[in-house]
Amino acid sequence: MDSIFIIVIVFLLLNIALGLFRVWRGPTVSDRLLTTQLFGTTGMAILLVLAGYLKELTLLNVAITFNVLAILLVICLFKVWKKKKGETP
Amino acid sequence: MMIKEIITVILLVVGCFFFLAGTLGVLRFPDLFSRLHALTKADNLGLGFIAAAMALHIASPWAALKIFSIWFFTLLASSTSCYLIARFQKEKDQPSSRKEEE
Amino acid sequence: MSIIIDILLAILTVYLALQSLLVHRLTQNVFLFFAFGLALALAWVRLGAVDVAITEAAIASGFLGVLFLDALRDFSDTSSKKWDDLELVRNSLHSKNPKSLFLPRLALVLGLLLFLFISLEAIWKIPDGGGLTAAAEAMLPESGVEHPVTAVLLNFRAYDTWLEIGVILLGLLAVFTVGGIKIYRKPQAITHDPLLRQVILFSTPILFLFGAFILYFGKSGPGGAFQAAVLWGAIGILLYLGGKPIFTVIPRWLLRLILTIGLGFFLLLGFLIIASGGALFEYPPAYAGILILIVETLAAISIAAALTAIFANLNQMTEEPKESNQPIE
Repeated sequence: MDSIFIIVIVFLLLNIALGLFRVWRGPTVSDRLLTTQLFGTTGMAILLVLAGYLKELTLLNVAITFNVLAILLVICLFKVWKKKKGETP
Repeated sequence: MMIKEIITVILLVVGCFFFLAGTLGVLRFPDLFSRLHALTKADNLGLGFIAAAMALHIASPWAALKIFSIWFFTLLASSTSCYLIARFQKEKDQPSSRKEEE
Repeated sequence: MSIIIDILLAILTVYLALQSLLVHRLTQNVFLFFAFGLALALAWVRLGAVDVAITEAAIASGFLGVLFLDALRDFSDTSSKKWDDLELVRNSLHSKNPKSLFLPRLALVLGLLLFLFISLEAIWKIPDGGGLTAAAEAMLPESGVEHPVTAVLLNFRAYDTWLEIGVILLGLLAVFTVGGIKIYRKPQAITHDPLLRQVILFSTPILFLFGAFILYFGKSGPGGAFQAAVLWGAIGILLYLGGKPIFTVIPRWLLRLILTIGLGFFLLLGFLIIASGGALFEYPPAYAGILILIVETLAAISIAAALTAIFANLNQMTEEPKESNQPIE
């Protein structure tokens, strides 16, 4: 059972490593922004599996924090970049 | 409880498959919007399966409720951010053609 | 078998750190930094320090990522000409005579080796008894809380935590000094964007409740004032981005009170304890739990307000520099 968890976590970490590719290649800034979403969701999945593997339920709190940050980053970029173009929010 | 373990493993594997699908979509799709679409849908579904597997593995009802609410909030948050990114990109491409729907 | 996770995570973290220092484009840099913060939080979790993981993920990568994005906005509008000039300069630097870069490279390598040596020696010298863990846990019943990290932070080493709150306030003062206190500019239009309104509507109560939960969970598990403060600060930032900055509707004296109450109450408590015969921050064990709770709550409110104010003022500073100076006093 534990080895399955370890394989899953390694797999998700490799997913993150693959997703990094889009941060370099992405032609626009939105591509890099969507990798933020990838990291957030994959990070949360890793935390969930770790919570089951280490049997430490407090990791679920960390998972919620990741989620909040990812969306905060997106909203901040959206609002902050828009203002510069002179449009009303 | 062999049946519980088997179901957990199956759910984990399905979740990983969806995560892989999402990552491949991000890498290989030609356009930002299709990448966004693939990423949001596939990753959240994968997260749902992994959350279900973990809720089954940690057999306490409060933990399961917490995991479910985490997943639900993630669903709301990532669908919102997906939409915001798409709209942001669309406005960058054509900055003046935006209809205000009030 | 679990060593594989750790090796992979270590490689990923170091790789992300190097890349976030070395990439050329600033937009890549910000998102790599955010990813680095997440990877570092996972590393903290693997090391068993969940408190540090939450704080790291929240402040060091979340809040800083938001501030970096804010700073990045100034580069987003530069014309392509400036960007090409930057590239020209960089290329000319690279095509310099490679021998002239030998000494800096040598210094870099030597520095890295020294750093590696120091860290290895630090790791090998971990005492066998786990250091101070036994002593901290022995004193736990007298400290009023049930989690050793919270006991250390808020009771045994309360002086350090008090000063940390002061450091955050100093940061806010620095932002005020550079930009001026322009909190009371003309009211911004509330956003009519239905999606943003909905996000703010549903996430404000969730963030508030979850922040309160983390604050009070600090008694018996990982949590505490700083993590809760970042979540509450996120509410403030979201409200600000939605066009309703909360600091324009409260009177100025209330704002100042909120900002300083964390530091101030803590200090007042220390003085009261000295006045009644103990050392600084030596809580009487009967009341220690309640006192820690009150101090943490006020500190969280204060830090949350400070974080929101930092973001709001930075956002204003670079946005409309030619706005008329409104009389402050």
